[in-house]
Amino acid sequence: MSNYLESANQILNKIIALYSNIALMMGELKTIEFSDIYLLLIRWVFPVLAVTIFVRCVLPLLRSEPYNTVWGYLQVPDSIKIPLQHWENSIGRSKLSDIVINLPFVSRTHAVLSFSAGTWSVFDLGSKGGVLVNDERIVKSKTVKDGDTISLAGAEFRLLAPEDGPEQQENPAAWFSRFSHHFSSGKTLFMIFLFQFLGGIQIYFSMGQDANPKLLGIFLAFILLEASYFLFMMTYTRKYIELELLAFFLCGINLFVVASAVPDQIAKQLIAIVCGIAVFIALGLLIRDLGRARKLKYVFVFGALVLLVLNLTIGEVRFGAKNWINLGFMSFQPMELIKVAFVMAGTATLDKLLTTRNITAFIGFAGACIGALILMRDLGTAVVFFAAFLVIAFMRSGDLRTIAYACSGAVLGAIAVVSFLPYVASRFEAWGRVWEYANTIGYQQTRTLIAAASGGVLGVGGGNGFLVNIPAAANDLVFGLVCEEWGLIVALITVLIILFFAVLAVSLMRECKSPFYAIAACGAAAIFLVQAALNVFGSVDLLPLTGITLPFVSNGGTSMVTSWALLAFIKAADDRGRPDREGVGD
Amino acid sequence: MKLLTRRALVVLVLSIIILLGLVIFTIGYIRDASTWVTHASNRHLYTNAQLMETGTIYDRKGEILFQTRDGAKKYHDNKTVRTAVLHTIGDTNDNIATGAQVAFKEKLTGWNIVSGAYRFNQRLSHFKNDLHLTLDADVCMTAYNALKGRKGTVGVYNYKTGEILCMVSSPSFDPENPPDVQADPVKFEGVYINRLLSATYTPGSAFKLVTAAAAIDNLEDIDTRIYHCDGKTNIDGVMVTCPTPHGDVSFEQALAHSCNVAFAEAILSLGASNLQDYSDMAGFNSSLMVDGIRTAAGKVNVSDAAGGDLAWAGIGQYDNTANPLCFMAYVGSIANEGVSVSPGILKGNIFSALIKPVTGKKRILSEETAEKLGNMMRKNVIDVYGEGNYQGLKLCAKSGTAQVGEDKAPHAWFVGYMDREDCPLAFVVVVENGGSGSKVAGPVAEKVLRSAVNSMN
Repeated sequence: MSNYLESANQILNKIIALYSNIALMMGELKTIEFSDIYLLLIRWVFPVLAVTIFVRCVLPLLRSEPYNTVWGYLQVPDSIKIPLQHWENSIGRSKLSDIVINLPFVSRTHAVLSFSAGTWSVFDLGSKGGVLVNDERIVKSKTVKDGDTISLAGAEFRLLAPEDGPEQQENPAAWFSRFSHHFSSGKTLFMIFLFQFLGGIQIYFSMGQDANPKLLGIFLAFILLEASYFLFMMTYTRKYIELELLAFFLCGINLFVVASAVPDQIAKQLIAIVCGIAVFIALGLLIRDLGRARKLKYVFVFGALVLLVLNLTIGEVRFGAKNWINLGFMSFQPMELIKVAFVMAGTATLDKLLTTRNITAFIGFAGACIGALILMRDLGTAVVFFAAFLVIAFMRSGDLRTIAYACSGAVLGAIAVVSFLPYVASRFEAWGRVWEYANTIGYQQTRTLIAAASGGVLGVGGGNGFLVNIPAAANDLVFGLVCEEWGLIVALITVLIILFFAVLAVSLMRECKSPFYAIAACGAAAIFLVQAALNVFGSVDLLPLTGITLPFVSNGGTSMVTSWALLAFIKAADDRGRPDREGVGD
Repeated sequence: MKLLTRRALVVLVLSIIILLGLVIFTIGYIRDASTWVTHASNRHLYTNAQLMETGTIYDRKGEILFQTRDGAKKYHDNKTVRTAVLHTIGDTNDNIATGAQVAFKEKLTGWNIVSGAYRFNQRLSHFKNDLHLTLDADVCMTAYNALKGRKGTVGVYNYKTGEILCMVSSPSFDPENPPDVQADPVKFEGVYINRLLSATYTPGSAFKLVTAAAAIDNLEDIDTRIYHCDGKTNIDGVMVTCPTPHGDVSFEQALAHSCNVAFAEAILSLGASNLQDYSDMAGFNSSLMVDGIRTAAGKVNVSDAAGGDLAWAGIGQYDNTANPLCFMAYVGSIANEGVSVSPGILKGNIFSALIKPVTGKKRILSEETAEKLGNMMRKNVIDVYGEGNYQGLKLCAKSGTAQVGEDKAPHAWFVGYMDREDCPLAFVVVVENGGSGSKVAGPVAEKVLRSAVNSMN
């Protein structure tokens, strides 16, 4: 009992002490400026907004519902109608076929039924039983019209067009769908505005005397850009817009980083974002048609080869790697742009995918890119290309053994490179022991960790960090910079968004119209993932440090445009319409 | 598309690996961010490798013991106080690992994992980062002076609340004029060690308080039993001796006169496992946490001891060692009706005041045992150490004169407590190679306790 009385007494003393402290504080209050109070309150808002925006964008996109567009039907005579849900449908005995026909004389992968520019064609994949259209044996492929009969080794079907236009199937709404239904994209966008505007003001305040009102103008212009994109998309399409919202959020962080680290480059960066969005829209429109996309692939690969040669001949060396081309009025990194062509080069349509296991051309192109990168001494990017190559090659061939060979070859190559190039060896030497070399080869990593720790969960406020004084803070160490100024939560959300792009790409596979888009989306996802891993883990000493950019977030024009272009591939794989926006034109 | 759906899982696997990496980073962050942030290159906290600003460390009466302003460290104005509290506050180069400057670095710099290095306002933040100690600068100064430059330690704490009033370790130095320690290795032997927290000594007869507790609980005839002492006894070829023969003594008198022969007999009837249990219970073989600072652990291991070795172990010799603070906490539990209150040096806040009555307490002895033992310790003072020497303190105590080798003077121990409602203080004094416990360490305790009583009233 006496213990509790004593505790009560202590509490009383404490309260008295607290009041005397407050009285003392009041005397100090006069020295406080408005910007101090602003940061004190606002720093709690950023993590909350970031998490909310993330959740509100991710949940609608992850809704797993059956495919809701039917492009045509295969009718079994006097029996059921099989809906054709993709632009390219494989037919065969294999469980992995889109339309499984479990009859002994049908081959495992017998034929492909593909829809392009309004007409259907059937491809014989070298089946034993052969394919007949209207009782006529086809050689390789043949156009099929509405009402035609297709016979696969005797199994007969009739192709029927959808009743009127592409047909919507009834949506068996899962609880999850209903739950995420309520997230209005407009509100999410408003939160993103709020995040970017409040953050812009914070950076403006942090500059004190040197503050330039132009900075606020940049943020307002960006918000205006986002708003117009949103209004346009909401009027003319009925697709999900959350993917772009997430990218907008990342671009906002990118502007924060640039405004804090290299304020005089912020206008240039905004232009890069505008270009990125333009490329995103243009590429999306170009690859919408499968036939056009296939042709575009060769144009891109040709362009990439030209760039590669140009880079090797007239390229400039910056930060130890010969990976810049200077056009006089602007300079850019060709290898970034080549990533887009690289992903395109790896794609294939279903008939090719199922008939030719041969990916020699792609291997050749990949070899050229990676070889050129080693010559340029840009080993980080070489790793990114190699990882993308592995993913695409596996998507194409499904052959784990080949991938294993490729990996072991690469490891041997890497060992050789590390032993020949001393500066690479020193990166490996510092790896995992950066504190022992805190002021030499572990300099950047330790400063990143110190900055990240100084930020805590909430961050010290935009523009208040010290990591900006370290070389490459806005590029290679950008994770630490975000962590320091905006806090651990915002930094983690930033990386999680990039991770989510990849998860989304995977989740879209099942309902993708064509393998072309599926492979492109996964290739883009692989590049995003590997870049994020090398950038973030390199700067915090979980991997050796490489000069790789974090997609969307690092400072840099070419990197920004490339990120948007790669995102277009993921967007193209998403053919779902928003259930709440039916009736809007496509 | 089923085919590609399956193949696309490689991308998912890659995502999961990266997610795992993020988790690993976050765990590392939570664990190590407090270390990363204290790197001297961190400009949020340091200029020219010196902390820019820290909170102020106050003693219990509001005396400023330490502060950093504009990169300069400032200690107490009085040189003797600075020297006396050196081991609690820590030195400028952080050589004293248990000093507040190291142990409470996070609190003093104002960094925490949520807010990071952010401060609302440099001047206002001081209040938040201040550290209020339970230490009394005057008592510490008295203790340091009473040690007269001899090596050793003095600790005093409130056995009801756990607040440490006095924590002094000698040798010490003035942190504003640090000496060249290397130049005089004998004088500055272990100068960076806080002996109260981090040293262990042979306890000698002070350890009889542990043996006595075991005897009171386990020997039925302990109240009536009369032991006979001829000044020595031979146990399986090992001699156990007393300085002078004590003749016929009761157990109570045996403790008061510290009769080794009588205790040897009691220990042999107790057995090794009993002694081990009571030693462990009294806090040997484990360390205490003093507001997050880990103390050294004393050691008693009698699993292999038998006969004469066991007897010597029970009277605090053999290879027993004791940490002064842990032993003081054991004595405090005798004073506090068998309940040990964990010692601390930070003044509590509202939250800790609420939870401490529940979490910080542990019953070590039964109430009767504690009372019996306490009465015997009171008798020690009245019958042997001289009530006149400790007039008015209502002192209960036990001395120890720990043999540490043929050619060295023994360590002088004096432990005990005041049985006063207004000053519930327990104490420990160790003077290294000081000689007789009651004659050397006793007067030090007396001076310190009087100073503490003055300070509390």
